[in-house]
Amino acid sequence: MLAFALRRTGIALVLVWLVATLVFLVIHLIPGDPAELLLSQGGVAPDPAAVAELRERLGLDLPLIQQYFTYWVGLLHGNFGTSLQDDHPVAAEIALRLPRTLELIGGAAVLALAIGMPFGTAAALRVGGRLDRVASVIAGVALSVPVFVVGTLAILIFAQKLGWVSAGGYVPLAQNPGRHLALLLMPAGTIAVGLAAVVFRVTRSSVLEVLGRDHVRAAQARGVGPRLIILRHVLRNALSPVLTVVALHLGALLGGTVLVEYVFNWPGLSGYLVRSVEARDYPEVLGIVLAISILFVFLNLVVDLAYAALDPRVRHA
Amino acid sequence: MSASLASPRFHRLVLPGALLALVLLTVAAAPLLPLADPVKQQVSERLSTPSLGHLLGQDEYGRDVFSRIIWGGRVSLSVSILAAACAGLIGTLLGLVGGYFRGVVELMSVRLAEVVLCFPPMLLALLVVTLLGPGAVTLVLVLTILFTPGYARVAYAETLSARTLDYVTAQTALGATSARVLFRTVLPNIAPPLLVQFSLTVAAAMMLESGLSFLGLGVVPPSPSWGLMIRSARSVMEQAPLLLLWPCLALAGTVLLLNVVCDRLRDVMDPRGAAMGVIPGFLRRARSAALPQATTEPAPSLVRIDNLTLSLKTPAGPLNVVRGVSFGVAPGETVALVGESGSGKTLTALAVMGLLPPVVTPAGGSIRFSRRDGTVADLLHLPEGQMRRLRGNDLSIIFQDPSASLNPVHRCGKQVAEAIRAHGGGMTGEGSARAAKAKVVALFRRVGLPDPERRAGAFPHELSGGQKQRVMIAAAVANTPRLLIADEPTTALDVTVQAQILDLLADLKGESGSGRGQEGKDTEGKDTTGMGLLFVTHNLAVVRQIADKVVVMYAGEVVEEGPVAEVFARPRHPYTAALLASAPESEAEELTAIPGTVPSPAALPPGCRFAPRCGFATPACDSTPPASIEVAPGRIARCIRWMEVA
Repeated sequence: MLAFALRRTGIALVLVWLVATLVFLVIHLIPGDPAELLLSQGGVAPDPAAVAELRERLGLDLPLIQQYFTYWVGLLHGNFGTSLQDDHPVAAEIALRLPRTLELIGGAAVLALAIGMPFGTAAALRVGGRLDRVASVIAGVALSVPVFVVGTLAILIFAQKLGWVSAGGYVPLAQNPGRHLALLLMPAGTIAVGLAAVVFRVTRSSVLEVLGRDHVRAAQARGVGPRLIILRHVLRNALSPVLTVVALHLGALLGGTVLVEYVFNWPGLSGYLVRSVEARDYPEVLGIVLAISILFVFLNLVVDLAYAALDPRVRHA
Repeated sequence: MSASLASPRFHRLVLPGALLALVLLTVAAAPLLPLADPVKQQVSERLSTPSLGHLLGQDEYGRDVFSRIIWGGRVSLSVSILAAACAGLIGTLLGLVGGYFRGVVELMSVRLAEVVLCFPPMLLALLVVTLLGPGAVTLVLVLTILFTPGYARVAYAETLSARTLDYVTAQTALGATSARVLFRTVLPNIAPPLLVQFSLTVAAAMMLESGLSFLGLGVVPPSPSWGLMIRSARSVMEQAPLLLLWPCLALAGTVLLLNVVCDRLRDVMDPRGAAMGVIPGFLRRARSAALPQATTEPAPSLVRIDNLTLSLKTPAGPLNVVRGVSFGVAPGETVALVGESGSGKTLTALAVMGLLPPVVTPAGGSIRFSRRDGTVADLLHLPEGQMRRLRGNDLSIIFQDPSASLNPVHRCGKQVAEAIRAHGGGMTGEGSARAAKAKVVALFRRVGLPDPERRAGAFPHELSGGQKQRVMIAAAVANTPRLLIADEPTTALDVTVQAQILDLLADLKGESGSGRGQEGKDTEGKDTTGMGLLFVTHNLAVVRQIADKVVVMYAGEVVEEGPVAEVFARPRHPYTAALLASAPESEAEELTAIPGTVPSPAALPPGCRFAPRCGFATPACDSTPPASIEVAPGRIARCIRWMEVA
């Protein structure tokens, strides 16, 4: 298990290096002068003096290898760049906003698993039954409605028409825990709609697949009762694919909460990102992309390790 | 394509397909339709309710909403379709080339494309928008980049499997150029999954495009787009909620249509994925709808199968795959159930255990079993709860493939302990866990597993095939069953291991009958308390080695039954005779293969099932199925010419 963990960590570190290098190269990969590109608006050629100044500020006038070196020295010191607009360090802003985004994703994952897994299991155990058919249709619809549509309609119904909750906003947990959780519910629930549908589908097909395996029949042949068979020989084996798919989606959500944070005014990482993109604040965008991508890689590492803990065969592979 | 146009799967595709075509036609024909100008503002008429001139009313700038929905769909769909097509072209090419040439080419094509997957998709999109600024061209570019790896993966995987197909190999061997093989032979082969991927991608691209437009980073105003319409309607949500609803409906509806078409398309192309709609046996309360028949037959000494008929559910209706099977197993007796694949021997064994696959149901007959407590139960009609108390207890089974029969995620000892604890009566709590564990170690020692303590803590993948089968045997004999069924227990094992397992089974059976003194024997000296063994096999050498009695099955029926020595010496059914002559282990001087194949249960010969392959067949054999005849005490044959056989 230890050797497995070390090897996986090694691979993750290589991926981090790859991602960081790619992010560094992005600006050099596109054709034309990046400084000019960033300053051009609506096809109007930018002021050459401003371009020269930006080039110097971004260090684009230095040799590529030196830029790369400086970049890594900065990264290792926790320096993810500074904003073009106000020289604010990107790392500080990320440290402030990342926990809020993670909280949103975590809340959504808990809700999605709590809804998707029981229904997915029940649907698989009575495949073709009424519950299975109804839940499958609902999941199909839930997967087809874009998350910002769900959020917007939720605000329209629950905030505007019914007045049960406020349309959005954020209150720190320390300041007012009740209000904090109430405000978390709508955005987390919005993300959970699509995610629960995914969990439902994966759980259903995974359980169905395991149900047909010989070891389930063998457990039955030993006289093991139905409850124990479902828990120990079906769900336990069906868990790994569910875990993988959920983790992959959570990774995608690291950037995908943009829309929900925007709709609900949730001051997370994504809102910061959108603002940076709007301002075309290139160092800010790169810093955020880098931070999230590294997180993404490590999330996958955690999943790999959890997978090994669940399935003893993986450890020896 | 495997399904015909008349299949029900295809019918399910028609309605969503037609609706989608309607949507696509409408947005394609937008310039030809008599629609209001989607960008013409009429501020005086802002937020007006639906009227004849403006079917869905006017928005916050007084623009016609209906017209904007259609024109918006035109923008959204054309961006998505264009991007999906571009990504499809590039991704397919990368996947084809990478999968066909492998090696460095694969690294430079498929693996390179997969780097994109290291980034969350929305993030990458925003990065590109930062660099290039918003707009339709940027959108197409972003979506193309994001969806290329998906196609590359599908094309790569399909190419890998298509490459090994015989006719592709044949083409290469005939000297066709790589390009020709790729585009003429491999591409048509992998087209169906790519088509599914395309419809999937269009839907995903629409979601992303509308999301970016909603953020104001996609389509640039004043061009209408559904995402943009939702964005602007949000600000006037309180006064005009309907304004928000229309683009939401249009967007979600179109994506839903695309997804449904994609699902159905997949069903048409890959029928394997469709659910069968059956409930696993252990969750059913009643195991059979048929009522138990009252019987006047004497109680069986162990188990007696009478007139067993099993029916398979097929799309064309039920099919009787096992018909009128009757035989018994006495205590201490070893009965071999012999037949080719598809003869129904395994189904018969599973019926005794009440473990038939969900698509097979008992259609008649009875399986009367005398339980440990002396009562007789019809296993075919026993409620699942009572049946469960017998399984692993009075009745046990060893399956063919020990690797598949052990749950890979649990330790071997724990799985054997399950059998003990399931029938442990009052055994609960800490003490029982320890007692069960001690019993498992004793069992492991008894079935000849070396270092039993360590084996009990091992995971199945840490043991060899023979060791795994020993574990399965340990679980099966844990509660000293009265009847042990072994369903081809050595088929999946190495030849050298097979003999060891057979020896072990013989030993276990010997132990069960011995040491019980005289009361274990009845007046004729027969063993009445020993474990009965029903051994399912197609290996005649094994039968000769271990069995007392042999039951030969052919096409779902018993064709011959009798003591092993007698049947082997003088078979009374041409099939048995042919089987003996064709077995490499037989003492026949020349091996003779049986001509023809086993008939399918859907197309049985009208008379004797074996007649078309039989060297003894006469015209009478083809008219009616022959009945079972008792040709000598304890010997049964289903042949009208039994006297002439061998």
